Amino acid sequence: MKSQRMTWPAFDPIPLSVTDVTLERGGFRLISGLSLNVEPGEALVLLGRNGVGKTTFLRALSGVLRPASGHIFYGDRTAIKAAPSVCAFLGHDNALKPDESPRQSLQFWSALSGLEAAVPAAMEQMGLKALADRPARRLSQGQKRRSALARMQVQNRPVWLLDEPAAPLDSDGRDRLSAAVTSHRNRGGLVIAATHQALDWPGARVQELTR
Amino acid sequence: MRAGAVFLREARLAFAGGGGPAAPAAFFIASLTLAPLAIGQSPATLQAAGPGVICFAALLAVLQGAEKLFGEDVADGTLEAYGLSGLPMSVIAVAKVLGSAIATLWPLPLVGLGGGIAFGLPVEAAGLLALALAAAIPGLAFLVAIAAALSAGARRGGLVIALIAAPLAIPLMVFTASAGRAAAIGDAAAGANLLLTCAVSLFLTALSPFAISAALKARLE
Repeated sequence: MKSQRMTWPAFDPIPLSVTDVTLERGGFRLISGLSLNVEPGEALVLLGRNGVGKTTFLRALSGVLRPASGHIFYGDRTAIKAAPSVCAFLGHDNALKPDESPRQSLQFWSALSGLEAAVPAAMEQMGLKALADRPARRLSQGQKRRSALARMQVQNRPVWLLDEPAAPLDSDGRDRLSAAVTSHRNRGGLVIAATHQALDWPGARVQELTR
Repeated sequence: MRAGAVFLREARLAFAGGGGPAAPAAFFIASLTLAPLAIGQSPATLQAAGPGVICFAALLAVLQGAEKLFGEDVADGTLEAYGLSGLPMSVIAVAKVLGSAIATLWPLPLVGLGGGIAFGLPVEAAGLLALALAAAIPGLAFLVAIAAALSAGARRGGLVIALIAAPLAIPLMVFTASAGRAAAIGDAAAGANLLLTCAVSLFLTALSPFAISAALKARLE
């Protein structure tokens, strides 16, 4: 069978700017006075120990958590307004249903918000071809993660927010993740990843989060 | 149509993981079979109690799948992804509730018809009761969904669902059962009660999506 060649369309350039943001969770101040900028085509890796507020920060970037003070903007719109149209979020959980196969899941998410034509290419990139029709309850943790990463691709959003993206991945999976991040950046996308372990992404900026 | 994708997925998952309409129908039939053993076998008693027992058992049948409705989406990260889908949460709520209700609850009026006849109602009265049940089920599904959204992700969610759904279900219980009872004695109030059932059900269907949306957004924060 001929392998599908997919040309991914370029994104409108949307920079992220975070100005003097303070975040609180359940009365605890987790992050105070954080400022940073991420330009289109850039990747930012946020390193930090467990509990330092990485996930909370990603949730603020995804617009579900309102900062106690400070501003988060995508272009000229606030995160709360812009996130539902510019962000794709990969949390700790993979948003897979036990009875749904990777193919069904990708077809659903791309139909809901994304590029339906990208499903075969995303499955190919994440090495899901042989697993395409296996229900998620019979996938390993790493295979589930790859399926969730393929969902990020078909959702076709310029901003990727990744929470511990590589945690359950083996070396092949990490290579695929790294390649996906690179091709996403080449389209003008942004990648912000929170992790407690180093990610060897070429050209990624690393910033340490501390208390 | 993007909401259609949510609707179809919900209906498909109801069959893939939950056995589709089997669970609510079995729950409904089991309650209707056991009720006469508890109430007593006198035909007059059964006929008088029938419409009420049938409505109440239908409510229980709708409630039994409630915890899964939003609980699973919270637990597996789907709700976060829905929040970023660009579709309003209220639209997602409507699509989800309709998808799962249509896939799982469609046998209930039929079971109610059979139950009404088995409890000794005249056939026309059982038919009207089944019609009232069919009218009530969208309202029941949506009010149970409000409770499910409020309790999603909470420990002992089932308890919270029962406590929230019970008071919301009062008008539908009253009007649906009254429609059946009035029809059984040939009272003209049966038609009025059927219309009131429709009205309450429509009211709940129209307003619940906003309540569900608010509850789910609060859960995301």
